[in-house]
Amino acid sequence: MRKEGRKRQVMLAIGLVLVLGLAEAAQAAEKIVIGAMYPMTGRAGRYGIDSVSAAEIAMNEINAKGGVNGRMIDIIFNDSKANPAYSIKVAKRYITEDKVNFLMGVVSSAVGLAVTEVSKENKVIFVGTDHASTALTTEKFQPYYFRVSNNTYQSAAAAALYAKDIKPWKKYYVIGPDYEYGHRTWEDFWMLLGRQRKDVQLVGQAWPKLFEPDYTPYITAILSAKPDVLVTTFWGGDTVAFIKQALPYKLFDKMKFYNYDGGGNYELLEAMPTGLPKGLVLSARHHLNWPDTKQNKEFVAKFKAQTGRYPSYAAEGAYAGVYFIAEGVRQAGTAEDPDKLVAVMEKIKFKLPEDPEGFMSYMRPIDHQIVQVQAIGETVPDKSFPPATMMLGNWKIFKAEEIIPSVAEIEAARKAVKK
Amino acid sequence: MDGNLLAAQFIGGLTSAMSLFLVASGLTLIFGVVNVFNFAHGSFYLLGAYFAYQAVAVSGVGFWAGVLLASLGAGAAGVLMEYFFLRRIYGRAGEAGFQILLTYSFILILDDVVKMIWGTDYKSISKPVALAGSFSLGEVTMPRYDLVVIVIGLAVAFGMWAAIRKTRFGRNLRAISSNREMASSLGVNVPLALSLVFGLATALGGLSGAISAPVRTVTPGAGIEVIIGSLIVVVIGGLGNFWGALVGALVIGEVTAFGILFLPQWAILFSYAVMALVLIFRPEGLLMKRGAVR
Repeated sequence: MRKEGRKRQVMLAIGLVLVLGLAEAAQAAEKIVIGAMYPMTGRAGRYGIDSVSAAEIAMNEINAKGGVNGRMIDIIFNDSKANPAYSIKVAKRYITEDKVNFLMGVVSSAVGLAVTEVSKENKVIFVGTDHASTALTTEKFQPYYFRVSNNTYQSAAAAALYAKDIKPWKKYYVIGPDYEYGHRTWEDFWMLLGRQRKDVQLVGQAWPKLFEPDYTPYITAILSAKPDVLVTTFWGGDTVAFIKQALPYKLFDKMKFYNYDGGGNYELLEAMPTGLPKGLVLSARHHLNWPDTKQNKEFVAKFKAQTGRYPSYAAEGAYAGVYFIAEGVRQAGTAEDPDKLVAVMEKIKFKLPEDPEGFMSYMRPIDHQIVQVQAIGETVPDKSFPPATMMLGNWKIFKAEEIIPSVAEIEAARKAVKK
Repeated sequence: MDGNLLAAQFIGGLTSAMSLFLVASGLTLIFGVVNVFNFAHGSFYLLGAYFAYQAVAVSGVGFWAGVLLASLGAGAAGVLMEYFFLRRIYGRAGEAGFQILLTYSFILILDDVVKMIWGTDYKSISKPVALAGSFSLGEVTMPRYDLVVIVIGLAVAFGMWAAIRKTRFGRNLRAISSNREMASSLGVNVPLALSLVFGLATALGGLSGAISAPVRTVTPGAGIEVIIGSLIVVVIGGLGNFWGALVGALVIGEVTAFGILFLPQWAILFSYAVMALVLIFRPEGLLMKRGAVR
């Protein structure tokens, strides 16, 4: 009797393990798996680390509310090393071994262009956050790609509208890093401004290498050209180094300083608690203090509470990416049918921290580029986000529809490539 | 093109040259005496910048005391690297290959160490208040801090000249540089001298990083940009030649400064063009004869 009892106990235990295993397998199959790639090292490391934190915040928010259609979100993170060849390997491994439902991420446009090819071949949807090259949504467009942050065309178009109305800005000088991003951000702006103003003139241009440590000779050359406005397409630490070195030359008293794509990133405001001049005209893809909505304030406060720091603009892009995927799965009722997902995702309209009152970001079917409002501001004294002592203010807001390329322009660009 | 403009450009070039020289002098000294090409030299610049940040902005030490501490700290790190790692590969078959692997791996290690300790955000320290503004000489503006950088560069050049030429230690270094075995058999404590040279050179790298911290970006990876510029400088001046580093830095600083004035779109080209010309017409470097430390 005792013996039989033990036997039964053993059988019961085995059965229990089997059932538990099954339950776990069922749960695993039900998870929505996102394969994310962000740089963890080097100059873009801050953007990658912030993106990961923000994506986790979004995931936890969604899962705490019971997930999407009863399914939990699970994100796998890997270092993109900001390297296209390496990222292709990671993306392929995500698809074949980890069986991810979506690819997400990347800061560098070069990596974005590589990963979008993997997405196209394998029909796995790739949600782009932060990387900004317009090529991904125009000439290199493929249907399984979506981007949930502004591209360089949008910030350049808003910048041209801003500059158009400032009559004294006639003589322009441009300095930027000598690679695709630096040039493209400038060329889009200059082309669009030229359509609206006939009296502007380029008095000089300089293209130092990316991450140049010493701008002194450039600064003296810029001063001698006496422009009304200096456009810079630097990002990250290059802006900081340039400003620090230009300060003793009083460059900012002699001309306006205009960096409309990456210059308003919080990491720069934070990097110069002393000495940052007033009246620099800057923007970024997300701002801590604009729009003044409950959603934006909560996003910033939550990020700060969980990580101990304020987010650079990449964070909000990754946060948007996870919500975009969740919304797509909710509407399509599946995470496994890419074509069904594309059909609903290209019409998604949702509210993000960077959306002002009365506006919701939305996806455009023609290029799978998110359409968003852009705000350009000036540095003003503001200590609400320490250690920064200057934040952006005196905002000018540009409507989402005014800063996107028209359908005809996109089709023309795509045709030009096919020829 | 008026005189004021040319003068401003010349001074700008001189400032760049002195920043380059401070890093390149250590690089060339290590090559000349220790016979190692230290790819990680830029990482000591990086350490110097972060040590200065830690001392000045975090611990509240005065600026110049912070710069001194940062230089000493970078030098100490250099001595540790030499003593525990480089020393193991001296004289091995295929030493050059090991040198590249070892010093290159230190770039990656030190970059990550910096990131683990200080994070990835940009750090900043303020200049001393007295040096924040600029001088005006007629219409030429010159930042006060740049003048300090130039003076420090010249002082280092003179100090090194005196140390190499006028002291017993310098004589030993010259002996080691021309024949290590002979110097050793004549009673020079070669291992100690090599450690000291390595420490001195990395302290110069640290000094450069520390005085650059108020005017440049303090971020992981900042060492890599300076090592490329310094490499060009030492190739132009002659690998291992101390005065060559000074001449090379002046040539690169001024050619780049005037190049930017006339052809700013081609800014990146100038230093490489000069290097290519030197390699074609004087591959041993502008100042190179035979001895290394001269």
